[in-house]
Amino acid sequence: MSETAFKRMKDLPSAHLLGTGTAMCPGCGGLQGFQGIYDLLGEKSVVVNAAGCMTLLSIYPFTPFRGSWLYTAMASAPAGAQGVRDALDILMEKKKMPPEENLDVVVLTGDGAAYGMGLSATSGAIERGLDFLYVCYDNEGYGNTGQQYSGATPHGARTATSKGPEGYRGQKKDLFSIWAAHSPSYVATVIGAEPLDLARKVEKARKLAGPRFLILLAPCPPGWDFDPKESVEIGQLAVRTGVWPLKEYVNGEIVHTKVPYSRLPVEEYLKRQGRFHHLFSPKRNDEVLNEVQARVDAYWQGVKEKSPVH
Amino acid sequence: MKVASRILGTAFYIEGFNVQDAPRYGAERRGAPIFAYVRASHESIHERGIIEDPDLVIVADDSLVPIPAAGILSGLTGRTVLLINTREDAKVWKERLNLQGPVVALPAEADDYAELRFIGARCAGAAAGLLDAIGRNAMEEAIGSELAGMGSETVAKNVEMALAAYDLMKPYEGSVGEGAPHAARTYKRPDWIDLPSEETRISAPDIWQPLTSVQVKTGLWRSERPVIDTAGCNRCWWICGSFCPDGAISLDEKGYPRVDYDFCKGCLICVAQCPSHAIEARPEHEDRSAGTRGERT
Amino acid sequence: MKGKLLTGNGAAAWGARLARADYIPAFPITPQTEIIETLAAWIDEGQVEARLVTLESEHSMITAAGAAAATGVRVFSATSSQGLLYGMEMIYTVAGWRAPFVLVNVSRGLATPLTLEPDHNDIMATRDSGFLQIHCATCQEVLDTILMAYRIAEDKRVRLPVIVNLDGFYLSFTREPVAIPAEEEVDRFLPPFDPGNIRFRASAPVSQASAVLGAASYSYFRYETHLAAMQALAVHDEAAGAFAEIFGRSYEAVERYRMEEAEFAFVMIGSFATKAKDAVDRLRAAGWKIGLLRPRVLRPYPKGHLLKALAGVRGVAVIDQNISVGRGGVLHTELAAALADMGGRRPVLASFMGGLGGRDISPQEFYEMASVAKKAAEKGEAPPPRLLYTETELREVRRLQAIARADQMEERR
Repeated sequence: MSETAFKRMKDLPSAHLLGTGTAMCPGCGGLQGFQGIYDLLGEKSVVVNAAGCMTLLSIYPFTPFRGSWLYTAMASAPAGAQGVRDALDILMEKKKMPPEENLDVVVLTGDGAAYGMGLSATSGAIERGLDFLYVCYDNEGYGNTGQQYSGATPHGARTATSKGPEGYRGQKKDLFSIWAAHSPSYVATVIGAEPLDLARKVEKARKLAGPRFLILLAPCPPGWDFDPKESVEIGQLAVRTGVWPLKEYVNGEIVHTKVPYSRLPVEEYLKRQGRFHHLFSPKRNDEVLNEVQARVDAYWQGVKEKSPVH
Repeated sequence: MKVASRILGTAFYIEGFNVQDAPRYGAERRGAPIFAYVRASHESIHERGIIEDPDLVIVADDSLVPIPAAGILSGLTGRTVLLINTREDAKVWKERLNLQGPVVALPAEADDYAELRFIGARCAGAAAGLLDAIGRNAMEEAIGSELAGMGSETVAKNVEMALAAYDLMKPYEGSVGEGAPHAARTYKRPDWIDLPSEETRISAPDIWQPLTSVQVKTGLWRSERPVIDTAGCNRCWWICGSFCPDGAISLDEKGYPRVDYDFCKGCLICVAQCPSHAIEARPEHEDRSAGTRGERT
Repeated sequence: MKGKLLTGNGAAAWGARLARADYIPAFPITPQTEIIETLAAWIDEGQVEARLVTLESEHSMITAAGAAAATGVRVFSATSSQGLLYGMEMIYTVAGWRAPFVLVNVSRGLATPLTLEPDHNDIMATRDSGFLQIHCATCQEVLDTILMAYRIAEDKRVRLPVIVNLDGFYLSFTREPVAIPAEEEVDRFLPPFDPGNIRFRASAPVSQASAVLGAASYSYFRYETHLAAMQALAVHDEAAGAFAEIFGRSYEAVERYRMEEAEFAFVMIGSFATKAKDAVDRLRAAGWKIGLLRPRVLRPYPKGHLLKALAGVRGVAVIDQNISVGRGGVLHTELAAALADMGGRRPVLASFMGGLGGRDISPQEFYEMASVAKKAAEKGEAPPPRLLYTETELREVRRLQAIARADQMEERR
């Protein structure tokens, strides 16, 4: 805690670097969180993007970036990052480019690429020890195509392809653990609604080298079906109900950076979103609600057992 | 607008026409201009794509008119009827836009944004009223069919709104006619060119200037705007700005937040999150007609 | 200049080495693997200063290749067949990035059914993508063409990636004498890659490969890529001229073998075209006025060169080692379209598809194809396309079908 430059909200930057005028939805939780990330990444960066909502950040001839950007395809942003990183290193090694021209290579994708199609390229990049930061804005579905379910969709959620009475029957994939199993340099969960926690983690990630990952939960007004102005509050509820644990993996250990002591019942979070409406109306679906609550409880029970000091 | 075009398309179809209708999206994002088109004929319809010479143009959101990308006025001729959902008078629009053809106003509802839910049905109803081809029954049946999944109450309300708009158009009934087909004997020749080969720096989709996105005024998406009462602001340190997804709030020299209305999309997160409740949501048109673009102090 | 017996793969590795490729994203696949193994060994031994990185798929490999070229380094990569197709999305994508690099494709037939043996369907699948393609008939040509390909790819009038194609097995694993040029001479022919302003660096931020909204933008960018490709024929001839001056070996966009006063011609690409040269020699000895046209550059399509070379020719046997299912041989289709501009003087084309999945083509088959072309010219009418396939071969397949009990069509109850 003492090493961080971000002790209080007042320590956060007082201006955003990312340009206005982008095509993201009003109230986009992903963009809101990414603002905080880009503030610290700065313009000496090249953002390598895979197909998803944020591909539309840069639509010719409009770009909100002060740094650079490369759009690749859906499955291979980490491979694009590999090519750029290696090339920059080669240019510097061969003295064809001075070190001041160096850029941080950042992959930016949605959950569709990160949890699914891009998993192979991601795994390969971590395995090769690529020096890059991967930011995944996770709105728990294939957002850009209309919110169909993806590997990141939580149990019970209604999506464009899970409109049955119980919603999505699968479980959200544990991408944090998949990354951690590769022994990368750093993995952290973040959310825009907790900007101080987010800034500290970006700061920490930037001080490290190698493969680093930030999963940014991105409350999504059209996809999760809520009024845009509730976007930050829903993010706060995700943390306070324990649904979105704020944690980091570093040096082989998992540390929770925020432990909600008196956890709110998950339904405080679920009931605010239209995508879970069918669990409450016309009849309460106690089976699914209890299932969700039980999973969250079991998770935090496990955290308590591993580190009783908390 | 997709719903409006489908209601109108289905109504035409019920009345025995051949129909072709489709939506067009400017960008796959909420708040960006979208439009739809409907072709109806007793013959087969071979034309496709955007209608170049419409007989009737329906504008559901009059704030789109000044936006070039919305292309409201493209293709309008002296015989095109322009139907605008607006609080202003038809005459005002006709003068403002210097139009030759007829302009009809569909009076916008009072300050109740819930009524926006029915804008599709109202537009479709008004459009049908301007034609002499679609009867009230067909309108009702079309709405029932297109909104089938939404429950009988919703359907009934939409029918009510549509037929009210339909009846409002009675004085102008029949003012929309079928246009003549294109002439092939004499036509305006397309201005074809042979593209020259250009250097890669310009002929690849690369953007060499940072921050060009600031030329896109997303403030036009808003239907409500946040207004900051500086007197009530505690300078908590920019919680509003931190949480603004679009970075549309910056600090002035004294550390007070200022909304850039050119870009604010009206998500109102700042209103919800301000710890001193010093930000208020106001309907966009209120401030617009007053001509102000800055915050109130 | 010293000469050595090298396989096609070995020659390709030498091409990459002499071109001083900085970055080699790699992925193994038969029959090209030897190329990357050779390069990896040289790098490990300190003979070559380059970075070789194995990606986890060809889709990623091609992405990394394009991204590195877009950043500003000289890139070499290699693949075949299924791997080329696995990366097909990125083949189109990186061409549109205008990222110049050289990709060697060692041609191999495509599943289904899976085979390891060569034909040209894999490389034919890339023809619409924006990659240029140049086909080699000998191991020497492989090395030489890689050097010329960098010069063409990196030329400011082009700035497109290039595929250098060689046949699996018949070139990749076959040794032939190859003169390996001296490094200093190659450096004279091929200076270091100058990316100009198209690169990534902190002082000049750029958003590359942005999406477009609107057909006017899309049409413009796509067609500009095409215009750049079309310029590559002139750029190729310039590069080949410079190459001939320094190294003494000449290459044309379309090789013409014994076409003097030819009445008939074979049209063929790749290593089997040397078999056609042999057939031409035998037929000439037997009194025929026949030659061979071997297109080396297929994208951009060398229409002018072909039309010029076929002036006065009456009958052509086009031999495709590929098949566009539902249409026929690709070389034939494209040549027929090009010849439409010749009007009444155009030769009659006889279409043959052979060599699929590595099937050999015998000298007798060449002589027979020449006869068919001659008869067609006399009749003024092209025969239906023919798959080169014999009674003997069918008997063999029947034997295999019997083992597979393919004849037992009844359902099990």
